[in-house]
Amino acid sequence: MAMALALRSINLNDSSLDYLDQQLARARAGQPTAIAALIRAHQKSVYSLALRMLGARHLAEDLVQDVFIQMSENLSRIETNQHLGFWLRKVTTHRAIDQLRHRTKFELAPLLDEDHVSDEAGNRDPLLQKSLGMLLADLSPDARAVMLLRYQEDLDPADIAKTLDMSINTVKSHLKRSLDLLREGLEDELT
Amino acid sequence: MKNDIESRLREALRPVAPTEDFTRRVIAQATAKSARSADRSGGAASRRLWWLSGIAASLLMAAGVYQHQRAQREVADGLEARRQVLQALALTSQKLDLAYETVKSQSSSLGDPEAGA
Repeated sequence: MAMALALRSINLNDSSLDYLDQQLARARAGQPTAIAALIRAHQKSVYSLALRMLGARHLAEDLVQDVFIQMSENLSRIETNQHLGFWLRKVTTHRAIDQLRHRTKFELAPLLDEDHVSDEAGNRDPLLQKSLGMLLADLSPDARAVMLLRYQEDLDPADIAKTLDMSINTVKSHLKRSLDLLREGLEDELT
Repeated sequence: MKNDIESRLREALRPVAPTEDFTRRVIAQATAKSARSADRSGGAASRRLWWLSGIAASLLMAAGVYQHQRAQREVADGLEARRQVLQALALTSQKLDLAYETVKSQSSSLGDPEAGA
């Protein structure tokens, strides 16, 4: 179950997991190439969470830098690559939620800035991207984190609860309420 | 409908990669920080080692001094005991001599009939 979770969350197969566990051991000994390998393996997940939580590329980049620097200082406490994935998601979401709680409503940015959507969304429907982005931006920081961990990271409610230090019932109620809101919003947007 | 919106969300929220330039910057900063942490923890470890060595040496020295003092005290106690034994033997010897002299003088007075008259 735990291994399957790691496979889903970072899209890696068994051999690359072994490889990343080896890299983690080398990174703990201070090898720069091993630290680089770990950052490259997890950067998509951390960057996407930060970007979609904070809604602006420059804020996301600052957060990602801080998270990976914190990672390099705490490698001795991290046991496996799977543990590292959990730790990175937890630190990223908690720090993003803290930032969002300290922002005023006026400062809230849209979920994805325009150039980012056109640069990185590839062949995905830009209208749908924008609509979903705006709808997700209206959610509370906690609800947004729950939705991202569920649909971006593909975690189940129990793992989301562990990551965000919430009860499973709170996670499930966030998921239900957010899906209802998105469904209503998308119906209005696309009809 | 529920599955439809969920699959749309999964599609829309596929992880995206940052620019290569940004990744390189992050790697450079994280590895530099890790190296500084390793230096600091190495320095701290060697300082800890020095402290532990100092404490161990002090403990050894204190134990040595204590052992030496205890040995000296035991020698002094032994000498004192020996002196006391010798003194006791000397006193006993004197008492025995005295008793012998007394017995001897009494027995000689009993053996001589004129001595009693």
